[in-house]
Amino acid sequence: MTERAVSDQAGEQAEIRAELRAVARDLLGGSGAGVDWQQLAGADWLGLEVAADLGGAGATFAEVAVIAEEFGRAAARGPYLSAVVLSVGVLNALEPNEHRDRLLGEIAAGTCVPAAVLGSGDCPGTVCTGTGHMGTGRIGKGQAPPFRLEQAADGPLLHGAASFLPGVVEASPLLLIATGPDGRPVVVSADPGTRGLGRAGQPVLDATRSLGVVRAAGVLVRPDCIWPFAGDGQASLQRLADRAAVAVACDSLGLSEAMLAATVGYARVREQFGRPIGSFQAVKHACADMLVQIRIARELVTEAVARVADPGCPGDEVSVAASMAKSFAGEAAVGIAGKAMQLHGGIGYTWESGIHVYLKRAMLDRELFGSPAAHRRRLAARYA
Amino acid sequence: MTAAATAAELAEFRVSVRDWCRTHVPAGWRQAQTGASEAEYVSFQRAWFAELRAAGFAVPHWPAEWGGGMSAAEQVVLYSELAAADAPRLILPFVAIHHAASTLLAAGTPGQCERHLPAILAGELWVQGFSEPEAGSDLASLRTSARREGDGYVVNGQKLWASGGQYADWCLLLARTDVAAPKRRGISYFLLDMRSPGVEVRPIKQATGESHFGEIFLTDVLIPAGNLIGPENGGWQVAQATLGAERGMTMLELAERLGNAGFRRLVAACSRPGPGGTRAIDDGLVQDRLAAFETEIAGFRSLCRTLVEDHDAGRSGPADASIAKLFYSELLQRLTDFGTQIGGLAAQAEMCKPASAGWESGAWALDFIGSWEWTIPGGTSEIQRTIIGERGLLLPREPASG
Repeated sequence: MTERAVSDQAGEQAEIRAELRAVARDLLGGSGAGVDWQQLAGADWLGLEVAADLGGAGATFAEVAVIAEEFGRAAARGPYLSAVVLSVGVLNALEPNEHRDRLLGEIAAGTCVPAAVLGSGDCPGTVCTGTGHMGTGRIGKGQAPPFRLEQAADGPLLHGAASFLPGVVEASPLLLIATGPDGRPVVVSADPGTRGLGRAGQPVLDATRSLGVVRAAGVLVRPDCIWPFAGDGQASLQRLADRAAVAVACDSLGLSEAMLAATVGYARVREQFGRPIGSFQAVKHACADMLVQIRIARELVTEAVARVADPGCPGDEVSVAASMAKSFAGEAAVGIAGKAMQLHGGIGYTWESGIHVYLKRAMLDRELFGSPAAHRRRLAARYA
Repeated sequence: MTAAATAAELAEFRVSVRDWCRTHVPAGWRQAQTGASEAEYVSFQRAWFAELRAAGFAVPHWPAEWGGGMSAAEQVVLYSELAAADAPRLILPFVAIHHAASTLLAAGTPGQCERHLPAILAGELWVQGFSEPEAGSDLASLRTSARREGDGYVVNGQKLWASGGQYADWCLLLARTDVAAPKRRGISYFLLDMRSPGVEVRPIKQATGESHFGEIFLTDVLIPAGNLIGPENGGWQVAQATLGAERGMTMLELAERLGNAGFRRLVAACSRPGPGGTRAIDDGLVQDRLAAFETEIAGFRSLCRTLVEDHDAGRSGPADASIAKLFYSELLQRLTDFGTQIGGLAAQAEMCKPASAGWESGAWALDFIGSWEWTIPGGTSEIQRTIIGERGLLLPREPASG
């Protein structure tokens, strides 16, 4: 492709994303509202990353990231993260098969809402450990998947458990990453009603999210429900964990911007001592700090999204950008939502103001798919 | 090279800069500049400027007709390669090639540009005469007066925090030409020849022990009317228009410094065995702080590139320059503080830093003290936050007097 064509294409993609963003703001509303799943399907958001011949839009993670950010801005409910970001990501990483292809089409159409399980939400695969050298720029390889398949006389049996899993309570099927009998990772598509497979909700302070546990105690799995990854499964797992972390970083960024906008709007009109509180330096400077944090977070998130969306980007480079974006945006969002509550004063502490919805969501985001400390540990493993 | 270089041309340019650095960055300059005398520092700066000029790297941001003409993308490459090679920084001619040049290019007459731009490239040094004892953050309340008399102006007053004042040939001077007008409407902008009778420069010793700054006393100094730049009483507007003009690229240079040799030096400091043989980097808390700094630096480098692109595309935000300056200043302060703590008591015993080095020279305790040279001058961090709040977020202004 010529330079001009590349630049034209980049411009066109930016335009598409801007339009996507505008529509998303319209559709999602704000402050913890529920979303109509069929409406999302109608807007083509569910199948953004699903291939066009399977009924999707054939877009990339860069477009999915726009929706993820807008979900954060609206503090929207719904299983977008589990059913779309994680599940479509997992399915696209597999060897094509008839079941997988049909499932992708159904996700795009909104008729099937699965949940993919990479690992426990507080310790997703590759993020928790890390050894390596700065010289090689290696990111440490992570933990084994939380489930394993064991070859028994009747067939393969699934064992394991994972917790703090987004969307698993309402989803069907569950797409569980497991270590196969040969040691290689596979995806097990499991009907939640299967004997020996248990799931339960785990209430959390963030009421806009649904988390749960999944336990498998010797679940007999049909061989045609065990799907291998295309290519290097370990590399796929690392990229999927990074995708998940970046998607949550997008959520943090979106909600940070919402909190700054709400605070600035309030500070312009709320008067004390006979003048708008936004004219006081203490308030104004706090808002300035929120903006500066957001500008840095946006740079890191944009870079991470671009690397995840680029299939040619080496895995370690994706991981570095993902860890930077996730740790910074996640921490910044809690600070910003907390400052928003502070600057709204007494009204900010009320249930009715809704600031707490954002603060709790920011707090959950910060921990989900790798805490800031875990991500920085992974970065620091490159220095030794 | 054309303004719209292709990716291949940029890659080629990068290789050529890298080769140039390999053969031109003086070996062992850090050691030689550590504890260097003022004279050694000045002659080293002049020699390095000449090297850069010969390569076409001294004023890449100037228009092509005056000896620059490098595209923003090429400048990004140039500065990142100079930083990666840990080249010396251009400090002495900084005000000349950035502030003076951008003021001349924005508001100067063809004659003024012709007189000064080639001279700057040949080594003419400049100082900024803006701040005064009673006009710091509230710069517009400056009192230095310029009284019209015949074919010139007679100037009286005192300027403070004039960086590099003792070496300057010329001064960018703000002085009041109409005491009756509202304070921002009575200021004019002059080009002052520092050899004029009545100009006296006294160095100020700063917190680091160095004397980068000076006071300038002006007693009945005559400035020819031809050295007024911009309209009479329109000086404040000229200064506003040119203050942030070059900030994007200079911030980018500093970001690249921080991200290349600066961070490498910090990691190296953490990896050195301390008293008792333990290494700071084996401590999880130290690793966490390093990773946090690496992340902030990455975000800042990316922000600087975005700002340069936005500036070129004509879509700069009104608070962009303030956001970059504020973030850099405070990041530098936290990072050098951390380096100081890593250095322990040994860092307290390091009595001088290499001249011509960046703001993170590796003499961490002195670097930390020097970081206030970022959070105070050029608009304090408090002033930057006010600008960001009022211009960036459109928050109501503070009720102000005057």
